[in-house]
Amino acid sequence: MNPLRQRWQKWLDARHPRADVHTMGQNNIYIVPSRPGLFFCLTIGVLLIGSINDQLSLGYMLSFLLAGAGLASMQATHGNLRGLSLDLQPPQPVFAGQEVQLEIRLHNAGRARFGLGFRVSGTPEAAIAWVDAPEKGHAVVSLRYAAPARGLHELPELQIITRFPLGLFRAWSLWRPASRLWVYPRPESPAPAFAPQQAGPEGEHAASVQLHKGLEFEGVRPYRRGDTLRQVIWKKAALALETNQALPVRETHAPASRQLWLDLQDTRGALEERLSRLSAWVLEADRMQSPYGLRLATRKIEPELGAQHRRACLEQLALWS
Amino acid sequence: MKLGSGLPRESRDVFFLLATIAAVVAPHVPRLPVWVQALCALMLVWRGWIAWSGHKLPNRWLLAAALAASTTLVLLNWRSLFNREADIAFLCILMALKTLELRARRDAFVVFFLGFFLILTRFFDSQSLPTALWMLLVVWALLTALVLAQMPVGQPSLALAARSAARVTLAGLPIMILLYLLFPRIAPLWGIPADSLGKTGLSNQMSFGAMSEIANDDSIALRLRFMGPVPPPGRRYLRGPVLEAFDGQHWLAQEGPRAADSLINSGEPWRYEMTLEPLRMRAIPLLESAGGAGAMSAGPYVLRRGPELQWTADMPVTERLRFTVQAWPEQQAGAQRTHASLLPDLQLPAGRNPRTIAWARALWRQPRIAALDDSARPTALAAAVMQHVREGDFFYTLSPGRYGDTTPDLIDEFWFDRRLGFCEHFAAAFVVIMRAAGVPARIVTGFQGFDPEPVDGWWIVRNSNAHAWAEYWVPGLGWQRADPTAAIAPERVQYGRALRPAPGALERLSPAVWPAVRGLWERLDNRWQQMILNYSRQDQFDLLKRMGVEEPDWVALGQAGAVVIGLIALGSASIIVWQRRPHDAWSRRRAVVLRLLHDLGLASATHESPLRWAEQVRQRFGARGQILAELLMSLERSRYAPSGARWGWRESIAWRHRLHAAGRMLQAK
Repeated sequence: MNPLRQRWQKWLDARHPRADVHTMGQNNIYIVPSRPGLFFCLTIGVLLIGSINDQLSLGYMLSFLLAGAGLASMQATHGNLRGLSLDLQPPQPVFAGQEVQLEIRLHNAGRARFGLGFRVSGTPEAAIAWVDAPEKGHAVVSLRYAAPARGLHELPELQIITRFPLGLFRAWSLWRPASRLWVYPRPESPAPAFAPQQAGPEGEHAASVQLHKGLEFEGVRPYRRGDTLRQVIWKKAALALETNQALPVRETHAPASRQLWLDLQDTRGALEERLSRLSAWVLEADRMQSPYGLRLATRKIEPELGAQHRRACLEQLALWS
Repeated sequence: MKLGSGLPRESRDVFFLLATIAAVVAPHVPRLPVWVQALCALMLVWRGWIAWSGHKLPNRWLLAAALAASTTLVLLNWRSLFNREADIAFLCILMALKTLELRARRDAFVVFFLGFFLILTRFFDSQSLPTALWMLLVVWALLTALVLAQMPVGQPSLALAARSAARVTLAGLPIMILLYLLFPRIAPLWGIPADSLGKTGLSNQMSFGAMSEIANDDSIALRLRFMGPVPPPGRRYLRGPVLEAFDGQHWLAQEGPRAADSLINSGEPWRYEMTLEPLRMRAIPLLESAGGAGAMSAGPYVLRRGPELQWTADMPVTERLRFTVQAWPEQQAGAQRTHASLLPDLQLPAGRNPRTIAWARALWRQPRIAALDDSARPTALAAAVMQHVREGDFFYTLSPGRYGDTTPDLIDEFWFDRRLGFCEHFAAAFVVIMRAAGVPARIVTGFQGFDPEPVDGWWIVRNSNAHAWAEYWVPGLGWQRADPTAAIAPERVQYGRALRPAPGALERLSPAVWPAVRGLWERLDNRWQQMILNYSRQDQFDLLKRMGVEEPDWVALGQAGAVVIGLIALGSASIIVWQRRPHDAWSRRRAVVLRLLHDLGLASATHESPLRWAEQVRQRFGARGQILAELLMSLERSRYAPSGARWGWRESIAWRHRLHAAGRMLQAK
């Protein structure tokens, strides 16, 4: 990028600070005549010349009627965006290669608005998602775009477009949402078998873990972080809560003996492929409810289970370089 | 609007557009050749069927071929594309063809632009009130189609789109009115289009018998409003071009330097105001005998009296003119002319019309005429010719058929063989007879007669009132008017009405009601013409004068426009500022306080309460800040008081005043 463009982009970004709520007003709506709008001007010009040359009063009237309507439509097009407020559902993490789905909510305190188009800046016209906003009401529009490479990303700049009512002007606003998006490495598919387990530093079983399909009931223990709600023995839960004890949990297998270490060293190939494999292992282990730990060179996440643990592992993978 | 609610969106939109196109084309249909009508109808119906049945649109090659074929047909028919009729036909064809190519909704734009040109071409024919209403409706429909194209979601109802279109149009109305009032009315930029159709109306020349039939053009040519008595029907002659040179078929006005007629007017003049429609010619028809000075100004034009006492403008009149003139009932014109200067009024093409000439000379030598002295003989001859017209088998008709197809002696053919004709035939024959007898004579064209009843005080003269009559010269008395048409069709002169077409079905059905309705309508139409369409440069300047501009001109008009635009911009800006300003008293006060505290160097925040701000002030300024802190405390009390104890605007202003005083005091040290 040449320095001039860079400065321009910087200035533009400064004009549009990242925010989770975007309220459109005079200072962030842009409006220019569209191509049909320019033709419309030309048409009025020709009509006016015709009227002058033949001294047609009604021709003058027609030209001025159209000119008036055109100018009023500029105001109406601008007004179609002005005062509209947008916010965004925090985007769900995705895996690389999937589509990101943004749920944008529109809050309209004024008159009904029509033909509001949403797109990620720079995508083609056909990608625009159109929506109407009812009078004093709300609307939701969901916008999809291909996820970028793994990592923690800022959301792309969004463009809100309208040409309503006459299409002679194009008004738009730019919104840079403040939310960030996690993109995890693309999981290898189909999921590969786990690597043979090394003896951990704690001297655990060296043999590979036999993965049980059907989980056997092996006992009851107090609730620990990472236990799924399905494991809770709800019949005894009320009593436990009353006596201020931890919830009783059905123990399916001894976690200590079945610990799974997912290690970057167990994989070969390009870094992205190796991360892909780890990502698939995390998902597989989570699916099987088998506690797992993640080891990326020096970084280590202790074996555990649960949504939070899974997220921590995947985020670690997403950021690894 | 439940219209087409059962149809899928696309089909419904297409049907709506087709209906709109049909409405745009409809008024043009009578002027289109049959093959163009058929072609357009065929294409519209075809497109409608496609929308109904869901078939595919024809491919582009077929359309290109259709376009090429219709262009060729238009060229063959008119031999040019730069012809008004050809253009209208071509636009209609293009519009209909375009519908077969309507794929995306944005194609509505093309139809939209073509539609406006077709609307404009309609105004060449008519600018009446119904046309204006038609224009409004069609523009509304076109805008609605456009709005529909901008509503991509779901199935918006037509009524919704129509409402949006109407809202935009209404919002633009003030701009339209301003532009209409202030946009300078300038003269045509290039050649003035002339109408080639055979219609009644004023003309600079006359071709004997060239027109087999003449259409009655009932459009209004001018209006008169008298300040005082109105001339009787027999005196309602408005003088236009005077034609003297005759080559056997064409009558032309003289050009170049020539002897001028003297003019002595007498009697009590009729004063009147005249609005003259743009007749696109230099001739200014004025009630006989207009006089006074030899020149006057009307709007941007200078009007001068010509040698033959007709009035002309310095350039063709292309805008409506309004001016006040007077006419005298008695006149003596050209009495002092010498015989030598009257030679052009005696010339006849050599060898033509032998029978008429022989007939005229025989009449001249009849004892009852020959016996009279020089000043009475021409009048007696004129009376004899009039009597012949009245008693011979002459017939007054607007469709006499063409003359001159079998013989070069056109006047002979009329006077002896066919005896069918309208005013110009009779006037021409009269002049030829007078000249044959040695009496100087000439043809005067112009208008004769008004509508029977005035409308809002205005007497209407229509193009169908165009007329031709004759003048012959009597020694010592000058030019005398002779209207042979009055002899054959006295009602034409008496009632001012040319031959009327057969009464329409409505007129026959209720002869009493119809004229009343027609009268009411004409009154409305007259108002429309006078107040809206006739708005001219003169009215623009008058408007400026009323607004207080001493000497209105283009510059003043431009300045007025600039002032209006400036006011509009200022108004819009204030509306924006007003809308952006917080609309509750608390937010406004808070903004004032925060600005003040910021100026005093305090980092107070929006979310804090006045109590907190007061503490900050006390901490920073100690006892000196006591007044300000007290004011902030009173704001706190007001903020959390029950709604009845809130401040009114008086208290609010007083408080703000004290706040600023306290702030200044702290800043000063």
